[in-house]
Amino acid sequence: MMSGGPAVRVSIESQCERQVQEVSLDGLETYVPPLSMSQNLAKLAQRIDFDQSSDSEQDGPERESREPWSKPEPEEDEGAVKFQPSLWPWDSVRNNLRGALTEMCVLHDVLSVLKEKKYMALDPVSQDPSVTKTPQVFQLISKKKSLATAAQLLLKGAEKLNKSLAENQEQRRQRDFNSELLRLRSQWKLRKVSIQKQSPDIGDLGTVSLFRRQPKAKPASQTWHVKLEAAQNVLLCKEIFAQLSREAVQIKSQIPHIVVKNQIISQPFPGLQLSISLCHSTGEKRSQRASPEKSKPDDHLYVLEHNLHQLIREFHKQTLSSVVMPHPASAPFGHKRLRLAGPMAYDKAEISSLQQSEGLLEKIIKQAKHIFLRSRTARTIDTLASRIEDPQIQAHWSNINDVYESSVKVLITSQGYEQICKSIQLQLNIGVEQIRVVHRDGRVITLSHQEQELQDFLLSQMSQHQVHAVQQLAKVMGWHVLSFSNHVGLGPIESIGNASAITVTSPNGEYTISVRNGPESGCKVLVQFPRSQAKELPKSDVLQDARWTHLRGPYKEVHWSRMEGRNFVYKMELLMAALTPCP
Amino acid sequence: MGVTCVCQVPVAEGKSVQQTVDMLHKKLEQLGAVKQGNFWVDCETYQATGNATGQPTKLLYVMHNSETPLSSMALFEGGPGLTADANFDVLMVKLKSHFQNAKGHKVESRGTRYRYCDFLVKIGTVAMSSSARGISVEVEYCACVIPGDCWNLMKEFMQSFLGSSTPELPAVFTSKAEGLYAPVDCMDTMSQYLELFGKVRKQQVLAGSGVR
Repeated sequence: MMSGGPAVRVSIESQCERQVQEVSLDGLETYVPPLSMSQNLAKLAQRIDFDQSSDSEQDGPERESREPWSKPEPEEDEGAVKFQPSLWPWDSVRNNLRGALTEMCVLHDVLSVLKEKKYMALDPVSQDPSVTKTPQVFQLISKKKSLATAAQLLLKGAEKLNKSLAENQEQRRQRDFNSELLRLRSQWKLRKVSIQKQSPDIGDLGTVSLFRRQPKAKPASQTWHVKLEAAQNVLLCKEIFAQLSREAVQIKSQIPHIVVKNQIISQPFPGLQLSISLCHSTGEKRSQRASPEKSKPDDHLYVLEHNLHQLIREFHKQTLSSVVMPHPASAPFGHKRLRLAGPMAYDKAEISSLQQSEGLLEKIIKQAKHIFLRSRTARTIDTLASRIEDPQIQAHWSNINDVYESSVKVLITSQGYEQICKSIQLQLNIGVEQIRVVHRDGRVITLSHQEQELQDFLLSQMSQHQVHAVQQLAKVMGWHVLSFSNHVGLGPIESIGNASAITVTSPNGEYTISVRNGPESGCKVLVQFPRSQAKELPKSDVLQDARWTHLRGPYKEVHWSRMEGRNFVYKMELLMAALTPCP
Repeated sequence: MGVTCVCQVPVAEGKSVQQTVDMLHKKLEQLGAVKQGNFWVDCETYQATGNATGQPTKLLYVMHNSETPLSSMALFEGGPGLTADANFDVLMVKLKSHFQNAKGHKVESRGTRYRYCDFLVKIGTVAMSSSARGISVEVEYCACVIPGDCWNLMKEFMQSFLGSSTPELPAVFTSKAEGLYAPVDCMDTMSQYLELFGKVRKQQVLAGSGVR
């Protein structure tokens, strides 16, 4: 049966012959010990049915003779369990393999016969022509039918969905109706207006009218609340005013405070008047007002009023708190720390630091001064910013302030060149009476409350900024700085600050730009050309060598106002670019 | 609170107490010191009663200083000291039965206070029952609390206006357990004053000099 062809190698692995009895914790497998020869024989012998085999041996020949007339017997024989000892454990394997080999050989034979095409040939299965050639009409009809059934199904489903949706909506409406009714009944009341018997058989329905239920009137207890609050407010304001007027009379200051009836007038700054007045009207209770510039009586400073209230409450808290109230009731009054002053031998400096030295009036006047100074500084910066466009002035006010101190950061920049020219950054700390300016380069300048000082200072800084900007621009453009001075000693004297000047030269050394900028005199730009380009130089016989013409010659002023560019630095950049010839 | 040194300046020859004090004032003002008010230091003596016989009665001194206006200091001579509230005086009144006030022994020093940068100089007239007995000079260096660190500086400063009457290092500092490098206390100042007052008390009343 085995035709030609390479032999197929079959790899066989035996199964585990021994059964695993136990696997110990360390992975060691314990096998069931294999049966010895005698044990094996005993096991096999047990399976033999001696009765059957003895019968079959004896009846062997008898069976053959009885065969024609006893057909059920072979069935019985077949039905009875017959034991055939397996001669070889690989028997079934061999049989299966043999079967597979047979089939493979048959397949191979068939394929080879087909290939030769002598004895066998492949013939395609012929289609039944009647099946394909159904007329199109029938096709259409059948398609219609199928579509109709599909449509019917879909419609049924849609109907069902619609029904369920309608039911849901109705349910919801019903529920809403109930809640609506409830709400309505709480707000509206039905009242029977007239009863008319229209007909004896129909019960009377009557006409009804609908009117809105009045909201429950507030209980009478609210009014005394309001009255009490008002009374407390009045007392507090009167106390504040009494304290302030007492201090106004007692405290000696440079400019005495005037106390007239219900008003205290004082002058924190020359030209500024602060008036604190107690306004008590029986119609509505109004609190005090503290207003600068008497011209507008409605110009309250609510901040100060609020602060007054806060101060007096703090004062009350201090006098009544447990810190101050002596805990051994026999101890003297005063701050708790002050009781230690004796035993710890505090000297005068330490004692005064524990005690409050400032009164209410002084505090509120200091706060008013600070507020006024701050608003004036803001106004100065804003007017300058709106007036002057070329170096732009930016103010960043700090969010965190004190009642006596605020701060603002002022930056002077040129539009479009913020990254390059940022040397003028000022930090202004606005105090009670003075403004302290900290420059970026570390200088600290103290300005008084005069508005003009701050304005002049900012103007001088703006003029310095322009020259600083030229210096930074020169660095970027590759020009060399020949000289730089923040305060030049030459030229006309400025009334505000000093003029600054800078001289820069082009990369190839041919051209020089000289800038002088002052807060009042404005800016002046001069350019120095090489001698060869100067037309007005007289030609003389003295200089015979041509190389002397490459030296820099006379200066020429630039008409800066006619220069193109939206701001000073832009114009300067264009000028520098124009004077740097392309390679 | 700084390191203090209290010393006595002898009255100049042929001059009264007041004149010597004025001379010192002038010297200080020439040096550039600024007058800053007045000062006073006083000392009251209390005798302990009911002691066992044979033992000398212990004297309790209660002192006050204008630098520490809310305090009273009580000390025994050479012994322990106590810093207390101003109510201590009231307490002493209550303890009348145990401590008797020797009223005639009250000593006080009053004068002007000068400030020269970190130095405080107090020149006072020591008076006992309103008769001037001597001159006390107290120099305080406010910037330091360790005597060992600043004694040399103080000595130099005192030499500039006291001249030959410059004192030596006060015994209070050397007698401490930790020596010169322990921080000072107001007790040290008071002990020095007590010593000075003791010396003044023992001195005879200056005869022939312009006594106030």
